[in-house]
Amino acid sequence: MAGFKAALINEIVKLLKKKKMIAAAFLSIIAVMVGQVAVTAIKHGFGLRVVGGTEFPLVVLSMFVYTLLPLFATFVAIDMFNGEFTSNTMKITLTRPVSRFGVFAAKVLNLAIFIAANLLFVMVLSLLAGLLFNADSASAAGIGRVALSYAVTFLPVLVFSLLVVLLSNIVRGGLAVFFLSVLLFIGFYFLGIIFSNYSSFFITSMFDWYMLWISESASGFKILRQALIMSGCGIMLFAAGYYLFDRKDI
Amino acid sequence: MTTKAIEISGLTKVYTNGRGISDLNLEIDEGDIFGFLGPNGAGKTTAMKMMAGLMKPDRGDVKIFGCSVVDDYVNAMKHVGCLIETAESYSYMTANDNLKLFARFYPDVDQRRIDECLEITGMLRYKNEKTRKFSLGMKQRLGVAAAILSRPRLLILDEPLNGLDVEGMLDMRRLIKRLAEEEGTTFFISSHLIHDVELTCTRIGVVYGGKLVNVEYTHNILSNYSSLENYFVSEVDRNGRV
Repeated sequence: MAGFKAALINEIVKLLKKKKMIAAAFLSIIAVMVGQVAVTAIKHGFGLRVVGGTEFPLVVLSMFVYTLLPLFATFVAIDMFNGEFTSNTMKITLTRPVSRFGVFAAKVLNLAIFIAANLLFVMVLSLLAGLLFNADSASAAGIGRVALSYAVTFLPVLVFSLLVVLLSNIVRGGLAVFFLSVLLFIGFYFLGIIFSNYSSFFITSMFDWYMLWISESASGFKILRQALIMSGCGIMLFAAGYYLFDRKDI
Repeated sequence: MTTKAIEISGLTKVYTNGRGISDLNLEIDEGDIFGFLGPNGAGKTTAMKMMAGLMKPDRGDVKIFGCSVVDDYVNAMKHVGCLIETAESYSYMTANDNLKLFARFYPDVDQRRIDECLEITGMLRYKNEKTRKFSLGMKQRLGVAAAILSRPRLLILDEPLNGLDVEGMLDMRRLIKRLAEEEGTTFFISSHLIHDVELTCTRIGVVYGGKLVNVEYTHNILSNYSSLENYFVSEVDRNGRV
Protein backbone atom coordinates (compact mmCIF):
# COMPACT_ATOMS: atom_id res chain seq x y z
CA MET A 1 0.00 0.00 0.00
CA ALA A 2 1.65 3.17 -1.27
CA GLY A 3 2.50 5.69 1.42
CA PHE A 4 1.30 3.45 4.28
CA LYS A 5 4.77 2.88 5.72
CA ALA A 6 5.55 6.60 5.64
CA ALA A 7 2.19 7.40 7.26
CA LEU A 8 2.79 4.81 9.99
CA ILE A 9 6.31 6.05 10.79
CA ASN A 10 4.98 9.60 10.90
CA GLU A 11 2.21 8.62 13.32
CA ILE A 12 4.75 6.94 15.62
CA VAL A 13 7.07 9.96 15.43
CA LYS A 14 4.19 12.31 16.25
CA LEU A 15 3.18 10.17 19.23
CA LEU A 16 6.74 10.18 20.57
CA LYS A 17 7.24 13.89 19.96
CA LYS A 18 4.05 14.74 21.83
CA LYS A 19 5.52 12.86 24.79
CA LYS A 20 2.34 10.84 25.26
CA MET A 21 4.44 7.67 25.51
CA ILE A 22 6.60 9.20 28.24
CA ALA A 23 3.54 10.36 30.20
CA ALA A 24 1.98 6.90 29.87
CA ALA A 25 5.21 5.23 31.00
CA PHE A 26 5.57 7.60 33.94
CA LEU A 27 2.02 7.00 35.19
CA SER A 28 2.42 3.25 34.66
CA ILE A 29 5.55 3.23 36.82
CA ILE A 30 3.71 5.13 39.55
CA ALA A 31 0.75 2.70 39.37
CA VAL A 32 3.03 -0.34 39.68
CA MET A 33 5.02 1.28 42.51
CA VAL A 34 1.86 2.16 44.47
CA GLY A 35 0.62 -1.41 44.02
CA GLN A 36 3.89 -2.88 45.21
CA VAL A 37 4.08 -0.55 48.21
CA ALA A 38 0.52 -1.55 49.20
CA VAL A 39 1.31 -5.26 48.87
CA THR A 40 4.56 -4.89 50.86
CA ALA A 41 2.85 -2.81 53.55
CA ILE A 42 0.15 -5.45 54.06
CA LYS A 43 2.76 -8.20 54.10
CA HIS A 44 4.96 -6.55 56.72
CA GLY A 45 2.23 -4.75 58.64
CA PHE A 46 -0.31 -7.55 59.00
CA GLY A 47 1.90 -10.51 58.23
CA LEU A 48 -0.36 -11.50 55.34
CA ARG A 49 0.98 -12.64 52.01
CA VAL A 50 -1.40 -10.99 49.51
CA VAL A 51 0.23 -12.12 46.28
CA GLY A 52 3.21 -14.13 45.14
CA GLY A 53 5.98 -13.02 42.80
CA THR A 54 4.13 -13.84 39.57
CA GLU A 55 0.65 -13.08 40.95
CA PHE A 56 1.49 -9.44 41.51
CA PRO A 57 1.57 -8.64 37.73
CA LEU A 58 -1.94 -10.13 37.43
CA VAL A 59 -3.22 -7.93 40.26
CA VAL A 60 -1.66 -4.94 38.49
CA LEU A 61 -3.25 -6.00 35.19
CA SER A 62 -6.71 -6.31 36.75
CA MET A 63 -6.45 -2.67 37.90
CA PHE A 64 -4.53 -1.32 34.91
CA VAL A 65 -6.91 -2.71 32.29
CA TYR A 66 -9.92 -0.97 33.81
CA THR A 67 -8.24 2.36 34.48
CA LEU A 68 -5.05 3.72 32.94
CA LEU A 69 -4.79 1.60 29.80
CA PRO A 70 -8.21 2.42 28.26
CA LEU A 71 -7.75 6.01 29.39
CA PHE A 72 -4.40 6.34 27.59
CA ALA A 73 -5.73 4.54 24.51
CA THR A 74 -8.75 6.89 24.44
CA PHE A 75 -6.50 9.96 24.69
CA VAL A 76 -4.27 8.74 21.86
CA ALA A 77 -7.25 7.87 19.62
CA ILE A 78 -8.90 11.26 20.22
CA ASP A 79 -5.63 13.05 19.61
CA MET A 80 -5.00 11.23 16.33
CA PHE A 81 -8.41 12.01 14.91
CA ASN A 82 -10.27 14.87 16.65
CA GLY A 83 -6.99 16.58 17.55
CA GLU A 84 -5.85 16.64 13.93
CA PHE A 85 -9.27 17.59 12.57
CA THR A 86 -9.64 20.57 14.91
CA SER A 87 -6.05 21.79 14.53
CA ASN A 88 -6.41 21.45 10.75
CA THR A 89 -3.27 19.30 10.52
CA MET A 90 -5.11 16.30 9.06
CA LYS A 91 -4.78 17.87 5.60
CA ILE A 92 -0.99 17.77 5.90
CA THR A 93 -1.11 13.98 5.58
CA LEU A 94 -4.17 13.76 3.36
CA THR A 95 -2.66 15.86 0.57
CA ARG A 96 0.29 13.47 0.21
CA PRO A 97 0.36 10.49 -2.19
CA VAL A 98 -1.32 8.11 0.24
CA SER A 99 -4.87 6.79 0.18
CA ARG A 100 -7.30 7.59 2.98
CA PHE A 101 -7.38 3.89 3.81
CA GLY A 102 -3.59 4.00 4.16
CA VAL A 103 -3.81 6.95 6.56
CA PHE A 104 -6.65 5.38 8.58
CA ALA A 105 -4.91 2.00 8.78
CA ALA A 106 -1.64 3.68 9.84
CA LYS A 107 -3.42 5.54 12.63
CA VAL A 108 -5.18 2.40 13.88
CA LEU A 109 -1.95 0.38 13.72
CA ASN A 110 -0.18 3.12 15.66
CA LEU A 111 -2.91 2.90 18.30
CA ALA A 112 -2.45 -0.89 18.42
CA ILE A 113 1.32 -0.47 18.81
CA PHE A 114 0.75 2.02 21.63
CA ILE A 115 -1.56 -0.41 23.49
CA ALA A 116 0.84 -3.34 22.98
CA ALA A 117 3.86 -1.30 24.09
CA ASN A 118 2.01 -0.05 27.14
CA LEU A 119 0.96 -3.59 28.13
CA LEU A 120 4.49 -4.91 27.56
CA PHE A 121 6.01 -2.12 29.63
CA VAL A 122 3.65 -2.65 32.58
CA MET A 123 4.13 -6.42 32.37
CA VAL A 124 7.93 -6.16 32.52
CA LEU A 125 7.76 -3.57 35.27
CA SER A 126 5.31 -5.50 37.44
CA LEU A 127 7.16 -8.77 36.86
CA LEU A 128 10.39 -7.14 37.98
CA ALA A 129 8.69 -5.62 41.02
CA GLY A 130 6.99 -8.91 41.87
CA LEU A 131 10.14 -10.96 41.49
CA LEU A 132 12.18 -8.45 43.44
CA PHE A 133 9.91 -8.46 46.46
CA ASN A 134 8.58 -12.03 46.32
CA ALA A 135 11.28 -13.96 44.46
CA ASP A 136 10.67 -17.13 46.48
CA SER A 137 7.19 -17.74 45.05
CA ALA A 138 8.14 -17.20 41.38
CA SER A 139 8.01 -19.95 38.76
CA ALA A 140 8.46 -20.29 35.00
CA ALA A 141 4.84 -21.42 34.64
CA GLY A 142 3.77 -18.35 36.59
CA ILE A 143 5.73 -16.06 34.27
CA GLY A 144 4.14 -17.83 31.28
CA ARG A 145 0.67 -17.22 32.73
CA VAL A 146 1.51 -13.53 33.20
CA ALA A 147 2.79 -13.18 29.62
CA LEU A 148 -0.33 -14.93 28.27
CA SER A 149 -2.64 -12.73 30.35
CA TYR A 150 -1.03 -9.50 29.16
CA ALA A 151 -0.92 -10.71 25.54
CA VAL A 152 -4.62 -11.63 25.33
CA THR A 153 -5.71 -8.41 27.09
CA PHE A 154 -4.53 -6.55 23.98
CA LEU A 155 -7.59 -7.64 21.95
CA PRO A 156 -10.48 -6.25 24.06
CA VAL A 157 -8.63 -2.98 24.70
CA LEU A 158 -7.98 -2.57 20.97
CA VAL A 159 -11.65 -3.23 20.18
CA PHE A 160 -12.68 -0.61 22.75
CA SER A 161 -10.20 1.83 21.18
CA LEU A 162 -11.76 1.19 17.77
CA LEU A 163 -15.07 2.25 19.31
CA VAL A 164 -13.38 5.50 20.38
CA VAL A 165 -11.97 5.89 16.84
CA LEU A 166 -15.50 5.50 15.46
CA LEU A 167 -16.82 8.13 17.88
CA SER A 168 -13.93 10.44 16.90
CA ASN A 169 -15.15 10.28 13.32
CA ILE A 170 -18.77 10.93 14.27
CA VAL A 171 -18.42 13.70 16.87
CA ARG A 172 -16.24 16.70 16.07
CA GLY A 173 -15.17 17.82 19.55
CA GLY A 174 -12.46 15.83 21.32
CA LEU A 175 -13.88 16.59 24.77
CA ALA A 176 -17.31 15.32 23.75
CA VAL A 177 -15.74 12.11 22.43
CA PHE A 178 -13.84 11.67 25.69
CA PHE A 179 -16.96 12.01 27.87
CA LEU A 180 -18.96 9.82 25.50
CA SER A 181 -16.24 7.16 25.71
CA VAL A 182 -16.21 7.31 29.52
CA LEU A 183 -20.02 7.05 29.61
CA LEU A 184 -19.96 4.10 27.23
CA PHE A 185 -17.20 2.45 29.27
CA ILE A 186 -19.21 2.76 32.49
CA GLY A 187 -22.48 1.91 30.73
CA PHE A 188 -21.04 -1.23 29.13
CA TYR A 189 -19.56 -2.30 32.46
CA PHE A 190 -22.90 -2.14 34.27
CA LEU A 191 -24.88 -3.54 31.34
CA GLY A 192 -22.47 -6.48 31.39
CA ILE A 193 -23.36 -7.09 35.04
CA ILE A 194 -27.13 -6.60 34.62
CA PHE A 195 -27.46 -8.59 31.39
CA SER A 196 -24.79 -11.14 32.19
CA ASN A 197 -26.05 -13.51 29.46
CA TYR A 198 -25.17 -10.92 26.86
CA SER A 199 -22.01 -9.63 28.54
CA SER A 200 -19.85 -10.86 25.64
CA PHE A 201 -21.31 -8.09 23.50
CA PHE A 202 -20.29 -5.36 25.94
CA ILE A 203 -16.60 -5.00 25.19
CA THR A 204 -15.57 -3.67 28.60
CA SER A 205 -16.83 -6.79 30.33
CA MET A 206 -14.29 -8.74 28.26
CA PHE A 207 -11.33 -6.81 29.61
CA ASP A 208 -10.79 -9.59 32.14
CA TRP A 209 -11.13 -12.41 29.65
CA TYR A 210 -7.51 -13.33 30.36
CA MET A 211 -8.98 -15.13 33.40
CA LEU A 212 -10.51 -17.65 30.98
CA TRP A 213 -7.08 -18.34 29.52
CA ILE A 214 -5.30 -18.92 32.83
CA SER A 215 -8.06 -20.63 34.84
CA GLU A 216 -7.54 -24.24 35.87
CA SER A 217 -10.53 -25.39 33.80
CA ALA A 218 -9.93 -23.39 30.63
CA SER A 219 -12.87 -23.68 28.24
CA GLY A 220 -11.63 -23.66 24.67
CA PHE A 221 -15.11 -23.19 23.27
CA LYS A 222 -15.84 -20.15 25.45
CA ILE A 223 -12.49 -18.59 24.58
CA LEU A 224 -13.10 -19.17 20.88
CA ARG A 225 -16.61 -17.72 21.08
CA GLN A 226 -15.43 -14.57 22.87
CA ALA A 227 -12.48 -14.17 20.51
CA LEU A 228 -14.80 -14.39 17.52
CA ILE A 229 -17.27 -11.92 19.01
CA MET A 230 -14.47 -9.45 19.74
CA SER A 231 -12.89 -9.90 16.31
CA GLY A 232 -16.29 -9.38 14.69
CA CYS A 233 -16.92 -6.24 16.70
CA GLY A 234 -13.40 -5.02 15.90
CA ILE A 235 -13.83 -5.55 12.15
CA MET A 236 -17.21 -3.81 12.16
CA LEU A 237 -15.90 -0.86 14.17
CA PHE A 238 -12.84 -0.57 11.92
CA ALA A 239 -15.01 -0.66 8.78
CA ALA A 240 -17.49 1.89 10.16
CA GLY A 241 -14.67 4.18 11.32
CA TYR A 242 -12.98 4.00 7.93
CA TYR A 243 -16.27 4.62 6.09
CA LEU A 244 -16.79 7.88 8.01
CA PHE A 245 -13.12 8.90 7.75
CA ASP A 246 -13.14 8.35 3.99
CA ARG A 247 -16.27 10.46 3.49
CA LYS A 248 -15.10 13.32 5.67
CA ASP A 249 -14.68 16.69 4.01
CA ILE A 250 -11.69 18.53 5.43
CA MET B 1 -0.20 18.41 -28.50
CA THR B 2 0.13 20.18 -25.14
CA THR B 3 0.00 17.93 -22.09
CA LYS B 4 -2.88 18.74 -19.77
CA ALA B 5 -1.76 19.20 -16.19
CA ILE B 6 -5.32 19.51 -14.90
CA GLU B 7 -8.59 18.46 -16.50
CA ILE B 8 -11.67 19.41 -14.51
CA SER B 9 -15.00 18.16 -15.82
CA GLY B 10 -18.43 18.94 -14.40
CA LEU B 11 -17.04 19.46 -10.91
CA THR B 12 -19.89 20.22 -8.52
CA LYS B 13 -20.13 20.60 -4.78
CA VAL B 14 -23.06 22.45 -3.26
CA TYR B 15 -23.32 23.02 0.51
CA THR B 16 -26.59 23.04 2.41
CA ASN B 17 -26.51 26.86 2.42
CA GLY B 18 -26.58 26.81 -1.39
CA ARG B 19 -23.00 28.02 -1.82
CA GLY B 20 -20.22 25.98 -3.37
CA ILE B 21 -19.23 25.39 -6.95
CA SER B 22 -21.27 23.96 -9.78
CA ASP B 23 -20.38 22.41 -13.10
CA LEU B 24 -16.77 23.61 -13.22
CA ASN B 25 -15.07 22.67 -16.49
CA LEU B 26 -11.47 23.70 -16.97
CA GLU B 27 -8.25 22.54 -18.56
CA ILE B 28 -4.81 23.75 -17.52
CA ASP B 29 -1.84 23.11 -19.78
CA GLU B 30 1.50 22.01 -18.40
CA GLY B 31 3.66 25.08 -17.71
CA ASP B 32 0.70 27.43 -17.18
CA ILE B 33 0.63 29.77 -14.22
CA PHE B 34 -3.10 29.82 -13.74
CA GLY B 35 -4.72 32.47 -11.55
CA PHE B 36 -8.09 31.60 -10.04
CA LEU B 37 -9.86 34.84 -9.23
CA GLY B 38 -13.15 35.45 -7.53
CA PRO B 39 -14.80 37.34 -4.71
CA ASN B 40 -15.08 35.87 -1.20
CA GLY B 41 -17.40 32.87 -1.10
CA ALA B 42 -17.24 32.36 -4.87
CA GLY B 43 -16.14 28.74 -4.44
CA LYS B 44 -12.38 28.99 -5.06
CA THR B 45 -11.25 27.11 -1.96
CA THR B 46 -14.01 24.51 -2.41
CA ALA B 47 -12.76 23.82 -5.94
CA MET B 48 -9.15 23.62 -4.76
CA LYS B 49 -10.03 21.31 -1.89
CA MET B 50 -11.71 18.96 -4.34
CA MET B 51 -8.65 19.13 -6.59
CA ALA B 52 -6.46 18.16 -3.64
CA GLY B 53 -8.80 15.35 -2.56
CA LEU B 54 -9.73 16.99 0.74
CA MET B 55 -13.37 17.09 -0.32
CA LYS B 56 -15.43 14.64 -2.30
CA PRO B 57 -17.34 16.26 -5.20
CA ASP B 58 -21.09 15.74 -5.52
CA ARG B 59 -20.48 15.20 -9.23
CA GLY B 60 -17.64 15.48 -11.71
CA ASP B 61 -13.96 14.65 -11.62
CA VAL B 62 -10.50 16.17 -11.60
CA LYS B 63 -7.67 14.58 -13.52
CA ILE B 64 -4.09 15.52 -12.71
CA PHE B 65 -1.62 14.46 -15.39
CA GLY B 66 -4.27 12.00 -16.57
CA CYS B 67 -4.96 10.39 -13.17
CA SER B 68 -8.33 10.87 -11.52
CA VAL B 69 -8.31 12.36 -8.03
CA VAL B 70 -11.52 10.45 -7.28
CA ASP B 71 -10.47 7.01 -8.54
CA ASP B 72 -6.65 7.04 -8.52
CA TYR B 73 -5.74 9.46 -5.77
CA VAL B 74 -2.24 8.19 -4.98
CA ASN B 75 -1.00 8.47 -8.56
CA ALA B 76 -2.81 11.77 -9.09
CA MET B 77 -1.03 13.31 -6.08
CA LYS B 78 2.42 11.92 -6.86
CA HIS B 79 3.52 15.08 -8.65
CA VAL B 80 1.46 17.64 -6.76
CA GLY B 81 2.37 20.09 -4.01
CA CYS B 82 -0.43 21.81 -2.11
CA LEU B 83 -1.01 24.77 0.10
CA ILE B 84 -4.73 24.88 0.79
CA GLU B 85 -6.49 27.55 2.86
CA THR B 86 -3.88 27.92 5.62
CA ALA B 87 -0.32 26.69 5.96
CA GLU B 88 -0.42 24.16 8.79
CA SER B 89 2.37 22.40 10.62
CA TYR B 90 2.74 20.35 13.78
CA SER B 91 3.38 23.08 16.33
CA TYR B 92 5.21 20.78 18.77
CA MET B 93 7.90 20.03 16.16
CA THR B 94 10.66 22.09 14.62
CA ALA B 95 10.46 23.31 11.02
CA ASN B 96 13.04 20.69 10.05
CA ASP B 97 11.17 17.85 11.77
CA ASN B 98 7.96 18.92 10.07
CA LEU B 99 9.60 18.75 6.65
CA LYS B 100 11.15 15.38 7.53
CA LEU B 101 7.64 14.04 8.15
CA PHE B 102 6.48 15.22 4.72
CA ALA B 103 9.66 13.93 3.06
CA ARG B 104 8.90 10.33 4.06
CA PHE B 105 6.23 10.18 1.36
CA TYR B 106 8.79 10.90 -1.36
CA PRO B 107 11.77 8.55 -1.80
CA ASP B 108 13.93 11.17 -3.55
CA VAL B 109 13.72 13.80 -0.84
CA ASP B 110 16.65 13.83 1.58
CA GLN B 111 18.02 16.25 4.20
CA ARG B 112 19.86 18.20 1.49
CA ARG B 113 16.60 18.87 -0.34
CA ILE B 114 14.93 19.85 2.95
CA ASP B 115 17.71 22.38 3.62
CA GLU B 116 17.45 23.60 0.02
CA CYS B 117 13.70 24.26 0.40
CA LEU B 118 14.25 26.01 3.72
CA GLU B 119 16.92 28.14 2.05
CA ILE B 120 14.68 29.00 -0.92
CA THR B 121 11.90 30.15 1.40
CA GLY B 122 14.27 31.99 3.75
CA MET B 123 13.56 29.67 6.66
CA LEU B 124 16.94 27.96 7.03
CA ARG B 125 17.95 29.96 10.10
CA TYR B 126 14.71 28.93 11.87
CA LYS B 127 14.98 25.22 10.97
CA ASN B 128 15.49 24.09 14.57
CA GLU B 129 12.76 26.24 16.09
CA LYS B 130 9.37 24.83 17.02
CA THR B 131 6.70 26.17 14.69
CA ARG B 132 4.37 27.22 17.51
CA LYS B 133 6.57 30.30 17.88
CA PHE B 134 6.33 31.20 14.18
CA SER B 135 4.53 34.26 12.84
CA LEU B 136 1.84 33.91 10.16
CA GLY B 137 4.34 34.82 7.46
CA MET B 138 6.89 32.27 8.70
CA LYS B 139 4.21 29.57 8.77
CA GLN B 140 3.28 30.52 5.22
CA ARG B 141 6.91 30.26 4.09
CA LEU B 142 7.19 26.84 5.76
CA GLY B 143 3.97 25.82 4.01
CA VAL B 144 5.52 26.79 0.67
CA ALA B 145 8.71 24.88 1.55
CA ALA B 146 6.55 21.80 2.28
CA ALA B 147 4.68 22.23 -1.01
CA ILE B 148 7.82 22.43 -3.17
CA LEU B 149 9.70 19.73 -1.22
CA SER B 150 9.05 16.90 -3.68
CA ARG B 151 9.88 19.02 -6.77
CA PRO B 152 6.23 18.73 -7.88
CA ARG B 153 5.18 19.23 -11.49
CA LEU B 154 2.02 20.97 -10.28
CA LEU B 155 1.61 23.38 -7.38
CA ILE B 156 -1.87 24.18 -6.08
CA LEU B 157 -1.58 27.30 -3.95
CA ASP B 158 -4.56 28.83 -2.19
CA GLU B 159 -3.78 32.41 -1.24
CA PRO B 160 -0.01 31.83 -1.08
CA LEU B 161 0.71 35.46 -0.23
CA ASN B 162 -1.39 35.44 2.94
CA GLY B 163 0.52 36.88 5.86
CA LEU B 164 3.65 37.66 3.85
CA ASP B 165 5.35 41.03 4.10
CA VAL B 166 6.38 43.00 0.98
CA GLU B 167 9.73 41.23 0.82
CA GLY B 168 8.00 37.89 1.20
CA MET B 169 5.55 38.71 -1.59
CA LEU B 170 8.40 39.67 -3.93
CA ASP B 171 10.28 36.48 -3.01
CA MET B 172 7.18 34.41 -3.64
CA ARG B 173 6.57 36.02 -7.02
CA ARG B 174 10.20 35.41 -8.00
CA LEU B 175 9.99 31.80 -6.81
CA ILE B 176 6.86 31.10 -8.85
CA LYS B 177 8.39 32.60 -11.98
CA ARG B 178 11.68 30.74 -11.46
CA LEU B 179 10.02 27.35 -10.92
CA ALA B 180 7.80 27.87 -13.95
CA GLU B 181 10.71 28.89 -16.19
CA GLU B 182 13.48 26.59 -14.96
CA GLU B 183 11.57 23.47 -13.94
CA GLY B 184 8.43 23.88 -16.03
CA THR B 185 6.23 23.69 -12.94
CA THR B 186 2.54 24.30 -13.50
CA PHE B 187 0.77 26.56 -11.01
CA PHE B 188 -2.86 26.81 -9.98
CA ILE B 189 -3.06 29.86 -7.74
CA SER B 190 -5.97 31.56 -6.05
CA SER B 191 -5.44 35.02 -4.70
CA HIS B 192 -7.44 38.09 -3.87
CA LEU B 193 -4.40 40.29 -4.61
CA ILE B 194 -5.24 41.14 -8.22
CA HIS B 195 -2.07 43.11 -8.84
CA ASP B 196 0.10 40.13 -7.89
CA VAL B 197 -1.97 37.79 -10.04
CA GLU B 198 -1.54 40.19 -12.95
CA LEU B 199 2.22 40.22 -12.51
CA THR B 200 2.57 36.48 -11.98
CA CYS B 201 -0.09 34.49 -13.84
CA THR B 202 -0.13 33.69 -17.53
CA ARG B 203 -3.79 32.67 -17.61
CA ILE B 204 -6.74 33.83 -15.55
CA GLY B 205 -10.04 32.20 -14.66
CA VAL B 206 -12.78 34.21 -12.98
CA VAL B 207 -15.19 32.39 -10.74
CA TYR B 208 -18.34 34.08 -9.53
CA GLY B 209 -21.33 32.71 -7.63
CA GLY B 210 -19.99 29.17 -7.84
CA LYS B 211 -19.55 29.25 -11.61
CA LEU B 212 -16.52 29.78 -13.81
CA VAL B 213 -17.50 32.80 -15.87
CA ASN B 214 -14.45 33.28 -18.07
CA VAL B 215 -10.94 32.00 -18.79
CA GLU B 216 -8.46 34.11 -20.70
CA TYR B 217 -4.71 34.59 -21.22
CA THR B 218 -3.28 37.49 -19.24
CA HIS B 219 -1.70 39.15 -22.30
CA ASN B 220 -5.06 39.07 -24.11
CA ILE B 221 -6.78 40.63 -21.11
CA LEU B 222 -4.18 43.35 -20.83
CA SER B 223 -4.46 44.16 -24.52
CA ASN B 224 -8.20 44.84 -24.04
CA TYR B 225 -8.27 46.28 -20.52
CA SER B 226 -5.98 48.74 -18.77
CA SER B 227 -5.52 46.38 -15.85
CA LEU B 228 -6.61 42.99 -14.56
CA GLU B 229 -8.66 44.78 -11.94
CA ASN B 230 -10.78 46.45 -14.63
CA TYR B 231 -11.26 43.11 -16.37
CA PHE B 232 -12.25 41.44 -13.10
CA VAL B 233 -14.75 44.17 -12.22
CA SER B 234 -16.23 44.04 -15.70
CA GLU B 235 -16.57 40.23 -15.57
CA VAL B 236 -18.14 40.31 -12.14
CA ASP B 237 -20.54 43.10 -13.19
CA ARG B 238 -21.46 41.28 -16.37
CA ASN B 239 -22.40 38.26 -14.28
CA GLY B 240 -24.87 39.98 -12.07
CA ARG B 241 -23.04 41.93 -9.43
CA VAL B 242 -24.23 45.49 -9.00
